[in-house]
Amino acid sequence: MPALTGLLRRIQGWVRPRHPEPLPVRLERRRIYILPTGFGAFVAALLATMAIGALNYNNNPAFLLCLLLVGAALASLLWTQLQLSGMEVRAIQGEPVAAGLPMPLHVHVEAPPGRERRGLRVEIEGSSATLSLDDDAGGEATVALETVRRGWLTPPRLRISTSRPLGLARAWSWVWPQTRFLVYPAPEPVGPPLPSGGGDAAEPRLDPAGEELHHLRDWRSGDAPRTIAWKASARRDVLIVRELERPRGDDVTLAWGRLAGLDHEARIRRLARWVDEAERQALRYRLQLPGAQPIGPDRGAAHRHACLRALALLPEAG
Amino acid sequence: MARPGLPLDGPGRRAALLAASTCLLPLLLQLPMPLPVIIAGAAMTAALMATRGAAPGWLRTVLALAVFGVVVAQGGLHLGRDTACALLAGMLAIKPLELRTVRDARSLLGFALFAPFATFLLDQGPVSLVLGLLGAALVLAALLRLSEQESGLPAGDVRPLARVSAIMRLIAIGLPLALAAFWLFPRLATPLWGLPDLSTARPGLSDEMSPGDWIDLLADDSPALRASFRGPEPAPRDMYWRGPTLMHYDGRTWTASSWLRASPPAPVEHGATVWDYDLALEPTERNLLVALEMPLALPDGMHAAHEHTLTSERKLDRVTRWQLRSAPPVRFESDLPAAMRQLALQLPEGFNPRTRALARQWRAETTDDGALVDRALAWIGSDFAYTLTTPLAGRHAVDEFLFEQRAGFCEHFSSAFAILMREAGIPTRVVTGYTGGVRNRYGNYWIVRRMDAHAWNEVWLEGRGWVRVDPTAAVAPERIYDTLADRLGGGGAGETVLPIADLGDWVLRGWNDFVLGFDAARQQRMLQRVGLERMETGGLAALFALCAALALGWMAWWIARSEYERDPLLRAWHRLDRRYARRGLGRARHEPALAWAERVLAAHPGEHALLALTRRFVAARYAPASSDATLITALRAHRPAPETRQ
Repeated sequence: MPALTGLLRRIQGWVRPRHPEPLPVRLERRRIYILPTGFGAFVAALLATMAIGALNYNNNPAFLLCLLLVGAALASLLWTQLQLSGMEVRAIQGEPVAAGLPMPLHVHVEAPPGRERRGLRVEIEGSSATLSLDDDAGGEATVALETVRRGWLTPPRLRISTSRPLGLARAWSWVWPQTRFLVYPAPEPVGPPLPSGGGDAAEPRLDPAGEELHHLRDWRSGDAPRTIAWKASARRDVLIVRELERPRGDDVTLAWGRLAGLDHEARIRRLARWVDEAERQALRYRLQLPGAQPIGPDRGAAHRHACLRALALLPEAG
Repeated sequence: MARPGLPLDGPGRRAALLAASTCLLPLLLQLPMPLPVIIAGAAMTAALMATRGAAPGWLRTVLALAVFGVVVAQGGLHLGRDTACALLAGMLAIKPLELRTVRDARSLLGFALFAPFATFLLDQGPVSLVLGLLGAALVLAALLRLSEQESGLPAGDVRPLARVSAIMRLIAIGLPLALAAFWLFPRLATPLWGLPDLSTARPGLSDEMSPGDWIDLLADDSPALRASFRGPEPAPRDMYWRGPTLMHYDGRTWTASSWLRASPPAPVEHGATVWDYDLALEPTERNLLVALEMPLALPDGMHAAHEHTLTSERKLDRVTRWQLRSAPPVRFESDLPAAMRQLALQLPEGFNPRTRALARQWRAETTDDGALVDRALAWIGSDFAYTLTTPLAGRHAVDEFLFEQRAGFCEHFSSAFAILMREAGIPTRVVTGYTGGVRNRYGNYWIVRRMDAHAWNEVWLEGRGWVRVDPTAAVAPERIYDTLADRLGGGGAGETVLPIADLGDWVLRGWNDFVLGFDAARQQRMLQRVGLERMETGGLAALFALCAALALGWMAWWIARSEYERDPLLRAWHRLDRRYARRGLGRARHEPALAWAERVLAAHPGEHALLALTRRFVAARYAPASSDATLITALRAHRPAPETRQ
């Protein structure tokens, strides 16, 4: 049915919003759509049958019952629409993930107080979550967005909908945020271990959990009793404590240039894997990419993000 | 985007079962025994199995076939209304067997809504109405719960009371629209397809009478008609609601003459007193009507036979209303055609020899018809008693009554009197109808009950035509003219002693008037009362559309009103803000009012007034003063300066 799909696409083109828009976005009357559900159509047919029967037999109690139900159904339709109307999508925040993993999108919504807005459904490309708003704090829903490629991801339209209170009709509104989310490159699933050395000279670091003696010093309040060097203390008549150090590897340098054998994307994935690996081993690492200042050496979440961001935003090969 | 596979949770299942069983109950009450017991048993089994999980498919089929079999065995194979209702009840009873998903529950609830509808087709009594409406409300509440589950809200999230109040709100909000549609929607004057035979009607008068067969009728205190008079009212003594006239006697039963029905009504000369009244007749499933003696002109849909027996074109299957004017007759068919005279003197041979001998003896003693009538009345009045307990009549029923028992009720008196007069050569007929009435003290109307049914005679006298003679009145006038009031032992002027009963009937009459008996004609009359004469269907549709639009607007306002700012000062301030927002100068959410006003002033030097106004507003917000009114007026009047408008 190409004609039908074409028509549907045409309708999608008319639907508001027609372009991405900056947040916050207010859901107002003109961009809320409402259509009966399958069950709503069934009830409508049922009520129409009842009305015709009651009018034909001039059976007034039956007609009145039918009309009361029609009135309640129409009121529920208004109610459905008004659950969305006036809401404001304040922010949509995506947590960066490696390409291929679902990205959690936090959708934060606020609304003027005074109306119950519970059980709203937030959907994006097949993933859905329930959103309930409090009068003061608003509400937040987390949906998962599929990611495919590294780099910037422009989100598709987000649908906020509800079929409450009676399930006769579903009202929905589209939100098309003008924003983009970062997708890290997917790391290589298996690969060679981290390269060693190549950075600054090894620097031993003090570490109370270390095993090798670094030097002795006077006792200070707060030092653990097991660190006291009793023999040395006996000789010097003051308490002496041992400062220990851990033997540590060198800072790791992850250099683009040393991976000449691999193709463009494979290099990126190897480096992404190494960044995660170094982070896991709590090593300091430096990332050297072509045409940019080396990043680091450092470690920690911010450094990891900086490295993966640089990798994610590397231009495509060629 | 329904999720058909979503399994139903416990609270949803319970709500659906409760709603469906409440809908089923009033329908069961209308079905003939033993169907309700069987179906209720099936319903309970099905509900029990539904709470334990779904039943296997073969069991569902077996139960469905069993229910079908039982219903057909009870009601026969022809698919009439009763059978259809019984089938609906049976299927609704076993529907819970397939109750796994939200979708199953919804189809059960939709199906359940048909049960009150079917109940109302069968019965429109208060029990059915209350249970039916309750069932419908519970269906809505169950739908609410299902929708909550579909939206991912746990059952504990919404209190049951909140659910009830939500349903009440929905119904209340929809009520104006429902009522506008009910009273203004163009009604069908004639049905599109055939009417079902309603079992709500109770038979009243018929076009035949066998003395002794009215025992049930005379014990039935349900209303037969209500009448409200415009202008003078007749005394209870003159309230003869004249119905079928019975001409033919076969020795046991009096019947109406069918060929007289087609002949034109006999000429009547009316008296000066005219009673103008509205008559509301309860359904009887017959065409027979009654009216005060004698109607002046007949409304549409009413037909009079030769002897002025009134019939309606359609069966009285619901409360019908008639506008009538009646005046007592002065001369009624004073020229009696020979054929009529012969008919009114007809007697079967071989019955009641003693009665006929007595009549011939009386005839021999006088030639004056009037004197003969008086003599008979005097005899009945002195020697006879009124009783409702009469033995079964033998072959010579009238002989036994006149010479042995000497006690009976109106049927016996009128029948015996007619035979006496006919044998004496005076044309006589039996007239049935109602007599008397009780005045309701709340509404200005009279009520006549079925127990007020009565039979009397009309004799034809030279120069006067047919004259009403009531032999029962000669025996027991109180049994005729004074109804319930005297039987309950007191009360004057035809009023009942029980105000609560009067009030109940008054409410019932209003219900009949505006709900049960509402039809195309009543709709026209209601519109006439507010000054809309002769409304065509198009005009009515337009009026309905207007009222429906008003009701819808009211609904929208009512639902959205929580958004409405209650504080008039804030309301005026927000409107001012919006005026600037339209020019791209709206206040940002986080921006303090004064900062905003200063920003506007910086960009548009003409906006001094705004800054001053904002200062006053801020001062009023922090230290509420009594002079808010002037500030509100100022805020409302303020417009952006002309140069700001660009």
